[in-house]
Amino acid sequence: MDAIRTEQLTKKYDLGWRKGRLLALDKLNLHVHEGEVYGLLGPNGSGKSTTLKLILDLISPTDGSAWLFDVPCNNVVSRLHVGFLPENPYFYRYLTGAETLVFYGKLCGMSGSSLKQRIEELLELVGLTRARDRQLSGYSKGMLQRIGLAQALIHDPKLLLLDEPTAGVDPIGSKDIRDLILRLKGMGKTVLLSSHLLAQVQDVCDRIGVLNLGQMILEGDVKSLISDQRRLSITVQDLPDDARARVEEAVRSAGASIVSVEHPQTTLESLFLEALKKDERGMGRHD
Amino acid sequence: MTNAAAVPAPSSSHDRVGFSLNRVSVIGVNTLTEAIRQKVFIFLLLVGLVFIGSAIFFSQYSLGEQEQLKVIKDTCLGVISVISTLIAIVGTAQLLPSEVENRTIYTILAKPVRRFEFLLGKFYGSVLLLVLSMAAMCLMFGAVLWIKEQSMIRELSQTYLGETQAATEQANQQIEQVRIAVLDVNMVKAVLTDLVKAMLVASVTLLVSTFSTSLVFNVAVPFMIYMAGMLRGTAVEMWSSHRLAMAVLAIVPDFGLFSLADDINLGNLVPWAHVDQVIVYGLARMVVIVVAAHLIFSRREI
Amino acid sequence: MRIKILIAVLLLGAGLVLLPLENWVRAERTRLKYGGARVSIQLREAIGQNLAIALLAGMRGIVADFMWINGHDYWEKKEWLRQYRNIEVVAALQPQAVMFWDLGQWHMAWNIGYGVLSDPKNRTKAEGLKREHEWHEKAREFLERGIENIPNRYDLYFTMGWLYYEKLSKDCDQPPCHEAFCKAAEYFGKAASFPDAPQFVTRFYPRALEKCGQTRAAYEEWKRLWFLDHSKVAQSWNIIEREIRELENQLQIPNDERLFPPPLP
Repeated sequence: MDAIRTEQLTKKYDLGWRKGRLLALDKLNLHVHEGEVYGLLGPNGSGKSTTLKLILDLISPTDGSAWLFDVPCNNVVSRLHVGFLPENPYFYRYLTGAETLVFYGKLCGMSGSSLKQRIEELLELVGLTRARDRQLSGYSKGMLQRIGLAQALIHDPKLLLLDEPTAGVDPIGSKDIRDLILRLKGMGKTVLLSSHLLAQVQDVCDRIGVLNLGQMILEGDVKSLISDQRRLSITVQDLPDDARARVEEAVRSAGASIVSVEHPQTTLESLFLEALKKDERGMGRHD
Repeated sequence: MTNAAAVPAPSSSHDRVGFSLNRVSVIGVNTLTEAIRQKVFIFLLLVGLVFIGSAIFFSQYSLGEQEQLKVIKDTCLGVISVISTLIAIVGTAQLLPSEVENRTIYTILAKPVRRFEFLLGKFYGSVLLLVLSMAAMCLMFGAVLWIKEQSMIRELSQTYLGETQAATEQANQQIEQVRIAVLDVNMVKAVLTDLVKAMLVASVTLLVSTFSTSLVFNVAVPFMIYMAGMLRGTAVEMWSSHRLAMAVLAIVPDFGLFSLADDINLGNLVPWAHVDQVIVYGLARMVVIVVAAHLIFSRREI
Repeated sequence: MRIKILIAVLLLGAGLVLLPLENWVRAERTRLKYGGARVSIQLREAIGQNLAIALLAGMRGIVADFMWINGHDYWEKKEWLRQYRNIEVVAALQPQAVMFWDLGQWHMAWNIGYGVLSDPKNRTKAEGLKREHEWHEKAREFLERGIENIPNRYDLYFTMGWLYYEKLSKDCDQPPCHEAFCKAAEYFGKAASFPDAPQFVTRFYPRALEKCGQTRAAYEEWKRLWFLDHSKVAQSWNIIEREIRELENQLQIPNDERLFPPPLP
């Protein structure tokens, strides 16, 4: 049983009188297996959000169908086991973090001490225990994203839909969210996330699909997609110059060619995170 | 991030999701708490309370007791009617647009929540807001009447009592009349029909906001419909022979039917049976409008 | 598109279904004498644009009150005709309001009446009197319309009686005019016949009868009042006793028929 299955899912938008229709999603056949982290990639306007909205029945398909755990998406039952984090969520600005979670918990039919307990766990999970009684109007973007994640998890769904979960969040927050996704995967959750920040999904996704202009143009296992079997890179430390000449000689004599020799650069992100880690005042976060 | 263990949450794996009044009320209460923090609501309510409170000072116009009480009652019940109508429009107009703008609607409808429950919850929230604000205005009104009654009785007894027997008798009768006028239970009828009217206005606004996202449109159109509804009674009399005109008019609720305050303040007989008819009329209109709003909202692309 | 038609049909259908209820409520209102004058063009011109809008918003009472309070200005400036027109408009706005008829006629007969009587522009005293009489007549005519509008309450009958008793009784060649007092008695009698009329109203009826010349009838009426149940009716019994004693003397009622015979010598 797939967590998400779509068949020929198509969405056309009316652009208004005499302007024709926009094909936002074109015959999408998507299969997200239980327990995997699936990355839906693509530039802005490629159909990622449309796909998520169709799955959640926020909009209705022009053609085709979608199922969550084999329940048709236009049935309210399909949403029993799914949690959703929209892009740039705002929530009710005057509610505190804890109140927000109470509201969503009650919507899911939870109440009493079990809800209370669940909220404490989630606040701890997303690292907002200290900010629990602060109004959301005072939350940073990263904190909003994390409370959004907490509300998506409130009823312990089997499937999580995350729309651009790291967009607009600073590198620390982004790293936190990616760590969280990996932990959720460890708990056996299925995650579908959409993003246009390719580097960020690389380390969390098991599989990815690339959408462009409403069509799936590439899909597959992340590792096999990005590894180049013909090329090999070896990183060495403290190699003397004469030794290097011998290595190059050995390569050539084996009939292979050297494509490039360079000092490996760290990514700016890891440099940034490293620097913050060294700061004795702690990581730059006030919550 | 801390190391919270993955404790299983309460299972929600019953595979049927029925209509739930509980969810409606959760959304309604949440809508209310959001709404009472809106500046425009606080402003409207304050204007209402200030107007009602200032009715105490009407005594400067050298009017008699009955005149003063009539002016106070007319003004206060009028303010309650106008402000509740405005709160109904302004408080309801932004409910759906702001949900879409804040994307909170996505998170709510992504949960096992029916769209009808959501819509009804929003409407319930505006009704709660109306009940709350009208209760606040009525309390103020009651306080004004009580203060006025006390000062009138004090004045009447100081001026007349003990002078001659006839003067005392007349003063006592006037005091009795003031008491009767102040404690007129019939005013409850006026407030009740006003509440139903405000709820009907809120439902019209909700209907408009299901297909429009422009706040100006959502405020202006219900207001125009309200004015048209106030004029309907006159129009119906003028055009009663034109079938087509009557049919078109039938779409707009007759808001004029809900104005009972004037008659009550004049001491006209307003039997409960009549009030009931008006309330039944208002609620029937409201139900139809909410159903229409549901038909649109259930198909709306969000 | 189909849904739009469906919704239009739904709203229209509901409107048509509810039309009989609507008409019924309206008919009931007319029967109960609710509302007031229709918003005619003349009325709209008379009250001005802003107030007309308030009127259409269902705030007839407030508009009437506001105009009434404004009318005090005209009185202070001695602009009698304007004040009179203002009173007429207010009464037309809320013809069910006892207050506006009652105080309106009082303004005409008492305040404006005295105003024109003592107007320094009068060339002779007789001219002042003539003008005063004209305003008394205006007040009477105005009040008659009030009674047409509110025939089921004692208030305006009493007011009319009072107008005859106090003012119209001076409007003849040689006051007091008995006819006016007879008219007053007629109206006081009508007012007193309402069970909710205050007790002082009931005492004006025999008083006016007396002034009308029907002394015997007045005496009978006083006696009728006296025999009402003293434990249930809150009446000024000593006033009635005084009146009865006086009339028994005046009518020379034999001692053994008197309600209050004189003390034995």
